[in-house]
Amino acid sequence: MEKWTGILQLVMEKKKEKTVTKTVYFQGALKVLRPNYLDNSGQACFFIINPGGGYVGGDRYRIEVTLEEQAELILTTQSATKVYRTPKTPVLQETEFILKKGSVLEYIPDPLIAYRNAKYNQNTVIRMEKGSTLLYTDILTPGWSPDGEWFKYDHLRLKNEIYLEEQLIAFDHLKLQPSDSQVDEIGFMENYTHLGSMIVVDERCSTSFLNQLYEELESHIIDCKIGVSMLYESGFTIRILASSTQQIEKLLAVCTSFIRREWFTKKPMLLRKY
Amino acid sequence: MTNYFLSLLQLCDSNLPTGGFSHSFGLETYIQENKVQDKASFAKWLRMYLDEQLVYSDGLACRLVYEALENNDLAKLWELDRRITVQNLPRETREGTNKIGERMLTIGVDLYASPLLQTYKRRVLESVSFAHPAIVFSIIAFQLEVPQKLGISAYLYSSISGLVQNAVRGIPLGQTAGQQVLREFQSYIQEAVDKIENLAEEDFGAVAPGLEIAQMKHERVNIRIFMS
Repeated sequence: MEKWTGILQLVMEKKKEKTVTKTVYFQGALKVLRPNYLDNSGQACFFIINPGGGYVGGDRYRIEVTLEEQAELILTTQSATKVYRTPKTPVLQETEFILKKGSVLEYIPDPLIAYRNAKYNQNTVIRMEKGSTLLYTDILTPGWSPDGEWFKYDHLRLKNEIYLEEQLIAFDHLKLQPSDSQVDEIGFMENYTHLGSMIVVDERCSTSFLNQLYEELESHIIDCKIGVSMLYESGFTIRILASSTQQIEKLLAVCTSFIRREWFTKKPMLLRKY
Repeated sequence: MTNYFLSLLQLCDSNLPTGGFSHSFGLETYIQENKVQDKASFAKWLRMYLDEQLVYSDGLACRLVYEALENNDLAKLWELDRRITVQNLPRETREGTNKIGERMLTIGVDLYASPLLQTYKRRVLESVSFAHPAIVFSIIAFQLEVPQKLGISAYLYSSISGLVQNAVRGIPLGQTAGQQVLREFQSYIQEAVDKIENLAEEDFGAVAPGLEIAQMKHERVNIRIFMS
């Protein structure tokens, strides 16, 4: 069996009006406490905790989450993911989400902060059945280094593969390697520092829905660069270049709140972490 | 002189009716934002486009097509066709690329008919495959027995040459300036081919975020001369 620095396996199911834990297993440097219920919708919320406080070279993490039919989950982290100096083997974070029919996953992790000389590979595979909903966000910061300079990490590589009824419908592969390319330059970060992404997959996604969302977003587009576009099938993606985590969080919150309101008549999510 | 030489010239000729002249792949967004406005700023943008988009997606796809065909692994080919399509998150760029791919596939079937190209075309008609120009081009080149590195460099050249022509119209640049950029890029294309040879398959599809956003933003550009 492969050796993991931290592993988390979680299966959620819907019981009556409430999403509850069916099975949960964790070992090593990943854990969760009991689920929270942030509103009266029955949607469960888990905060993933990294007791080690950060990732170091050679670390390997695996998260497996299955949502049974109709289960609804918010999955987030307790704090930012910190990747420390990684002289040799890159840190690996593998995640697999399985969304059964009618289930809803909102995956809203905290930002990623890569320290000087960090190497980080993240592979996320999402397997969806028809009728399930995915709302995924992530935020990449310019990292941290002792001299205060940004973009001193070696590389960040993040891959998302989304399968709908076992067909690949989106493949998102971001690679930032500051030594290899001038991050400030045209095509890359273009003088911004933070990169936010959002992927939404749901049968209700349409061009007109995306246009409405964009109208909602438009007045907030100040000092940042945003692209929104429909996926090949049943979804859309949003990419944001901006200058702070807070700015991106605010923009993503506009989007998630709009979607929660329009599709689920749910109120905006308030993640009380700090 | 081998017999594929003139075939390659024809495939890379801008007269080949693929419709590439109507796609800027995000360049037009930069032109409207005044980020690309002359020969120097265009050359810089084009270098980024070559070293990122073309190397990690189209160029690596060319190599993987050659490898799949050498191993007679058609399943790999269809997987690659889907992956390179859904990897293209900006809708206009994705759909535009598929249109170009479809036209190139039709030309391929008309000029260099083979069971494989026929199958590819049938799969596209049945909507189980998408048609990507890099894949179609590489299949044709492989069938013509064009050596792999030459095939990849010819594909990169035709892409770069198309973008130069679009920049000449879109920025606009003088014809001579355009040709100078194209001449200057010969060595960069060679470097790109060498880089592609050394990539791992896991490098496939890596995107540059700013370029991707510019390609998405093009959907909301008001006045446009290009479809992407």
